[in-house]
Amino acid sequence: MDYAACEPGATAVTSALAIKILIAGGFGVGKTTMVGTISEIRPLHTEELLSERGVDVDDVSGVESKSTTTVALDFGRITIREGLWLYLFGTPGQDRFWFMWDELALGALGAVVLADTRRLQDSFPAVDYFEQRGIPFVVGVNCFDGARRHDPAKVRRALGLNAHVPIVLCDVRDRASVRDVLTTLVTYAVEGAGRAMP
Amino acid sequence: MTGQDPGPLIRLYGLTGGRARPQGETFDLVAIVTTVGGPHTLADLIPEYRAVLSVCRRPTPVADVAAHLRLPLNVTRVILGDLRREGFVTIERPRPVAQTIDEHIYREVLDGLRSL
Repeated sequence: MDYAACEPGATAVTSALAIKILIAGGFGVGKTTMVGTISEIRPLHTEELLSERGVDVDDVSGVESKSTTTVALDFGRITIREGLWLYLFGTPGQDRFWFMWDELALGALGAVVLADTRRLQDSFPAVDYFEQRGIPFVVGVNCFDGARRHDPAKVRRALGLNAHVPIVLCDVRDRASVRDVLTTLVTYAVEGAGRAMP
Repeated sequence: MTGQDPGPLIRLYGLTGGRARPQGETFDLVAIVTTVGGPHTLADLIPEYRAVLSVCRRPTPVADVAAHLRLPLNVTRVILGDLRREGFVTIERPRPVAQTIDEHIYREVLDGLRSL
């Protein structure tokens, strides 16, 4: 989208809506690739600057003593129409950034937990996180090798997933495949919410 | 990396007067920022503030504003807080998903995804 091309003085009357979807999973499982595959823009990048607790932000010397650190945050966008977007946020991998997850997860429609069958245990923290907070999620099994078939039932058992949590085999480099994962998530999140409400 | 070079950091916090976070509530990543009113008298505003007003003539989520400006999120939030206090922008807090995604929007999203 070209922001510079908008007419001067244009104002929004109808409310715009950005729907947040999280892409989670262990380090190197393909989160950034997935966002890049489906995003209409090159994944955007921003950073959260963190001040260590107890350090006065006005204390410039604190900057030099590594009192600040940065969390990289990559995200992509899918425009459904003017004023309606899906935003895909890759979750920071390191455990010490869990608090960033809380912010990311707030108001999210749902999440994709990417899994690599060679190291399924890397997906446990994400599964636990979304289960505990009641955030709808689907598991995307990234088929790195392409040839080997993975058995969703085994993945479900290994991850201790409820019977209703969708498991989708996917290739995060393939646009149609990523699209299917997201379609599954949106359907599951919306229809699941509908079922939960009397 | 910003972490290894304090120069940009010092400049960023100079931009916000040393403030690391906005006064009052923090804005959600997908809270929608919209520039309000017609052309402002912008001569007094520093470039980053003017850039926000330019980007947000179209309603734009906070994360997108940060990415456009190439600024960290919390610095962006300080700028947005200032602009809102001065009445230059409105920031619409996202409503819970259950309230925003009705049948119509759900269909739109699904159709949009399928057409990708």
